[in-house]
Amino acid sequence: MDERTKLLEKYSSRVYKNRKEHVIQLENITDQTITANTRAIPGSMTARGCCYAGCKGVVVGPLRDVLVITHGPIGCGFYSWGTRRNKAKAGEDGKNFIPYCFSTDMQESDIVFGGEKKLEKALDEAVEIFHPACIMICSTCPIGLIGDDVQAVAKRTEEKYGITTIGYSCEGYKGVSQSAGHHIANNGLMKYIVGTGDQKPKAKYSVNILGEYNIGGDGWEEERILKRIGYEVVSVFTGDGAYSTIRNSHLADLNLVMCHRSINYIAEMMKTKYGIDWLKVNFIGVGATCKSLRDMAKYFGDPELIARTEEVIQDELASIYDDMEYYKSKLKGKTAGIFVGGSRAHHYQLLLKDLGVETIIAGYEFAHRDDYEGRQVIPFIKEDADNKNIETITVSPDEKLYRERYTPEKLEELRQEIEIDTYDGMIPDMNPGHVVVDDYNYFETDELIKIMKPDIFFSGIKDKYTILKGGTASRQMHSYDYSGPYSGFRGAVLFAKDVTMSLYTNAWAYVTPPWKNTPMLTGTLTENA
Amino acid sequence: MGANLVNLNVNPCKMCMPMGAVTAFYGIKNCMSILHGSQGCATYIRRHMATHFNEPVDIASSSLTEQGTVFGGEKNLMKGLENLIELYNPDVIGIATTCLAETIGEDVEAYMKKFHETHPEERVKLINVASAGYGGTQYEGFFRALRAIVSQVEPKTEKNDYINIITPMISPADTRWLKSLLDETGLHYILLPDLSENLDGISVRKYERLKSGGTSLEEISRMAGARFTIEFSDFVSEDSSPAAYLKEQFGVDYARMGLPAGIRAMDRLYELLEFCGGTITARMKTERGRYLDAMVDAHKYCAEGRAAIFGEPDFVLSATRLCAENGIVPVLTTTGSVCHTFKEKLEGEVQNAANRAMAEHYEILDDCDFDTIEKYCKELNVNLMIGSSDGRRVSHKLDIPLIRCAFPIHDRVGGQRVRTIGFDGSLFLMETAANLFLEKKETTFRQESYEKYYKDSNAANPPTAKENSVMDIKQNTPDLLAKTVEEKNATHPCFNCGAAKSARIHLPVAPKCNIQCNYCVRKFDCPNESRPGVTTEVLSPEQAYKKYAVVKAKVPNLTVVGIAGPGDSLANFEETKKTLQLIREYDPNVTFCLSTNGLMLPLYAQELIDLGVSHVTVTMNTVDPEIGAKIYHHVNYMGKYYTGVAAASILLANQLSGLKYLCERGVVCKVNCVTLKGINDQHLEEVSKVAKELGVYIVNVMPHIPVEGSAFESLDTLSNKEINEIRKKCGVNIKQMYHCRQCRADAIGTLENDQSIEFRGCSGGCSTEKEEKEPMAMLRFAVASKSGILVDSHFGHVEEFYIYESDGETVSFVEKRSVKKYCSGNADCDDHDDRMESILNAVADCNGVIALRIGESPSRKLAAKGIAVYAMYDKIEEAVKSCAKKQSVLFSAAK
Repeated sequence: MDERTKLLEKYSSRVYKNRKEHVIQLENITDQTITANTRAIPGSMTARGCCYAGCKGVVVGPLRDVLVITHGPIGCGFYSWGTRRNKAKAGEDGKNFIPYCFSTDMQESDIVFGGEKKLEKALDEAVEIFHPACIMICSTCPIGLIGDDVQAVAKRTEEKYGITTIGYSCEGYKGVSQSAGHHIANNGLMKYIVGTGDQKPKAKYSVNILGEYNIGGDGWEEERILKRIGYEVVSVFTGDGAYSTIRNSHLADLNLVMCHRSINYIAEMMKTKYGIDWLKVNFIGVGATCKSLRDMAKYFGDPELIARTEEVIQDELASIYDDMEYYKSKLKGKTAGIFVGGSRAHHYQLLLKDLGVETIIAGYEFAHRDDYEGRQVIPFIKEDADNKNIETITVSPDEKLYRERYTPEKLEELRQEIEIDTYDGMIPDMNPGHVVVDDYNYFETDELIKIMKPDIFFSGIKDKYTILKGGTASRQMHSYDYSGPYSGFRGAVLFAKDVTMSLYTNAWAYVTPPWKNTPMLTGTLTENA
Repeated sequence: MGANLVNLNVNPCKMCMPMGAVTAFYGIKNCMSILHGSQGCATYIRRHMATHFNEPVDIASSSLTEQGTVFGGEKNLMKGLENLIELYNPDVIGIATTCLAETIGEDVEAYMKKFHETHPEERVKLINVASAGYGGTQYEGFFRALRAIVSQVEPKTEKNDYINIITPMISPADTRWLKSLLDETGLHYILLPDLSENLDGISVRKYERLKSGGTSLEEISRMAGARFTIEFSDFVSEDSSPAAYLKEQFGVDYARMGLPAGIRAMDRLYELLEFCGGTITARMKTERGRYLDAMVDAHKYCAEGRAAIFGEPDFVLSATRLCAENGIVPVLTTTGSVCHTFKEKLEGEVQNAANRAMAEHYEILDDCDFDTIEKYCKELNVNLMIGSSDGRRVSHKLDIPLIRCAFPIHDRVGGQRVRTIGFDGSLFLMETAANLFLEKKETTFRQESYEKYYKDSNAANPPTAKENSVMDIKQNTPDLLAKTVEEKNATHPCFNCGAAKSARIHLPVAPKCNIQCNYCVRKFDCPNESRPGVTTEVLSPEQAYKKYAVVKAKVPNLTVVGIAGPGDSLANFEETKKTLQLIREYDPNVTFCLSTNGLMLPLYAQELIDLGVSHVTVTMNTVDPEIGAKIYHHVNYMGKYYTGVAAASILLANQLSGLKYLCERGVVCKVNCVTLKGINDQHLEEVSKVAKELGVYIVNVMPHIPVEGSAFESLDTLSNKEINEIRKKCGVNIKQMYHCRQCRADAIGTLENDQSIEFRGCSGGCSTEKEEKEPMAMLRFAVASKSGILVDSHFGHVEEFYIYESDGETVSFVEKRSVKKYCSGNADCDDHDDRMESILNAVADCNGVIALRIGESPSRKLAAKGIAVYAMYDKIEEAVKSCAKKQSVLFSAAK
């Protein structure tokens, strides 16, 4: 009996029927399908969040110069305040709203009588005090139900103050997970911000980094390397990103896509509207970073750039060589499980591979099939009611700004070598026997650890303690347990150090108390004693 | 919402009801909870609780989707319950609603009934609680869940010998303490909820999914037959109170008290436990003694505390009591919840603590966000924050230590084990606070004392070691050198005749002087720059700033702000500096000028440059110490009193090095010389030469105008002609000033048109109508006096007021009025409000109150009633007369 069967046999037939489509054990990498992006089972202790979390918490929250206001009762704003560790520092304008949480703090009467007026007044107050460059309104569950029109309020506010204001209808119940919120957020950024600026990049080659949320400073390490090679980073979507730079993002030469799930909509739309190609990159892992940098150089095809890229790679590699060798010696041969959102479960496998660690279990919380199997499956994904309700916007080539970078023939040629305008998914990087789980839950995490016994399990804060209690090392991949960055070259060393520390901590040695193994006293009992 | 913002919450200090509800369910044995709504609620709440408790947190969700919002959430909830039972097999399932479920109007009770009908085999106890996120905050959700639990579990009404103990959300460690205390008393008790184990588990081989700690259903059902209930909450509402429910339904009597933190609350707890038949053991008494001992040990350090306490109302009140009884003034007590009784319940405690520490400002705020907390932390000079880790941003920004001891704690480990109640919890909190004050003291005390009391002596070198002193001054020169003198003078009427259209304001913020010139009488303004014999109303920097703002609004060509006394601007450097800073913020383009005797100039020269002062006038009457000895009676320098040549030498040396430093750095300097016949009139040519060498721009030779009562009262004066002769001679060396008006220290307007009278008594807001001469009205004063002769009584100690009337000339005694003592000076100040009321009534018809001393709080209250307050020591008649004069000036100015 394989591991998958062992796991699923614990379920009742009803749950089994649902879950069997979401859990696969790899045999043949090329034609296995998985079901994803469907409703979570109520009561299953899913790790998924809501639409609001995807929009406010993930995509628009990290924009440092944007005043993001949560329209709703206090909880949602409070819980999404500073919890994702997306680092940011104030730019030249001195603005950084990342440490703030703004909310309309709706009370019962606002639910009964409507909250539009309160929202509008709250925006007046916010503008007066904070002078933001841009405002975004994120709706919570009750908003759509009570009929508050956040787009209308946004429009009025924009007219009143001349500040770009975007209303997002990202009520928590929309879609089946955070994923719906990503899409909604993408649409807003594309509609109202991308393309509104006119500041051209200065460097010969310029890029945007899409889907990098700068958790623990990941984006900063990436920018460091890119700048060293000579690239200009026009904008980042959205970690330490800004309204002021995203406005100019359409003037960059190439889009780099880190988190495919949360940002692919913008990458695709910018391709259609402005002709900017996008390249799936992965700066997590030494090998992956080198590959991504080389792919970029190949895309531009400039011998000078290729040479410079190689020079930087060699220098960076040399600087981390000793450290990486040491940690490899400590970690080689270990196995790992990894359950994270929608891209990290793939990205981190490559970093673990650098360290000689094999990932035997991997799962996404809210990914779609293309994140597992590659974008070629998109035409075959069934639309369901939940997805249809999420607005899809269509864009057409911009008359003035559309510029084809390469002919379709040339792109096809490039595609033989690099992932340009496409993503091949996670599964091709995995091996037969490995288990892939979609929308994982506590129960499955627990059972799989028991069945497959990985040495370390990477997951989020909610399941971290369950895993630790069970005696398995665990590290938090959503916010890095206050550590990071883990990206690029230097980040890889930090990650290796953190993993080694977790696996080799003394505490594990005492899990079994000495009296269980050896007698504490020796002697004989006599009747007179 | 903040005090200023009524619609925008900036950095919330509260969470939502579902959070509280699921936390309460965590204290029930073999219980799981499910949130009926979007799955984000469960995910977010699990995330927050897991981070605080460092434990797995299992809260299910019915995962309502858009379809559910249209067709209702019944199907999802049913499925959720089935799956929960299958995976966890719990005895109890708590179903808490969310914003979504409540907004679409889900009938959970009906669903529960249906569930039992369709699942007759299921023995699980379902308990529902309505907890819309917009209906309240986590503490209300917590009590609502408890109430739902006691009212929905089948009661066993037969009498038993148990005592019900009901707590708000306390840490698992605090819960364990409470249980062991109750065990020690020998009482049988039922604790609801029992959070001791489920959120602070141990490391085990096999992780237990369903939590077996907590209050069992059996225990909950027996609560109906218990002997008595103790409910630890000051704020629980009647309709959420489990104790009130048990009383109404089953006649179980109860007592309510706040969380047992601090000695009074612990005494009350011991009393209640004894009342219930428990034994107060010797060990328990020892604990009390030890805590008391610790209070005494730490009181000296605690007394420096000015705490901001924030969080759930019950926590805030208990921490406030603890702080107050340890001498830490809880100057800022806030909760994020909307809580109408908050202020009322805290006021007595806070006011008492504040009064003991000599009456201070304090704020008690409900519905408060961290933006507001930050604002008041600054305003109220808070030096300690107590609450959750959400205060970390303010703490970091303002460099105020934060004791993390309330939910949630997200940036430290051990949130599940914080201790705040019981004697050892109180000890932990109090001693942590005391140690933070000590730590602060250790690192800053010497510096602070030095700054406050000894700073002047730091500049001891300048008098003789000129070069060194100059080198010592912080080197950092702004762009003054980049501008030409003409550019710098363009808008300054005193330095540029052509700038006569530019107006200036002299702000009298500097009352003290550090030298005594023989031509000056200190009770009047310094005659260097002013018409002699005129006394100026002295302004605080804030008043000065307001006055500036008012004048600027009326006199748009106001380009220059000067500080010219009435004493010496640098002898009052803090005030001068503050004034200039405030104005600079308001208007970055204003020109600052300043006049000084130069004694402190080397010490502050660089700071003046940094403040943006571009024009400095130094009154240097001589460059010969021998002559100086005749002009200056004494010099007060660095806490020492110098006379004669020594005094003049020090003054001169500092004038020279200070001027040199300023001139080198592009500050436009002017030297004023008061021409004293027979003393320096033949010497001024020499002075002007030296001034030239130093780089001074202009010299102003001024006539001496004798002042009555000064040493040079009868010194002959020079005629204008003679003065002009001297100016001509000096003019060979350096530019001379011919247009000086010897203006007042509070002059306003252009040189030609002094408008200061229009703005008199006006430190902001008031009208600038011209003062009309009116006969002075009869004013009534209440005088705090024991003897009836002198103003000799503290306002707070007065038993009788002497009522006087005066028009500033005549003074007449009206009557004696007896009032209840307002504050007897001991701890017995409970009926504060009543006493305050009676005292205010006693003086209600008066225009002013005159006392030896008066506390801040009463003086604010008096001011609010429009009654002026004068603190002084004098003969009653004299005092009344002078106060009447002062007041009539204010009166007419305010008209």
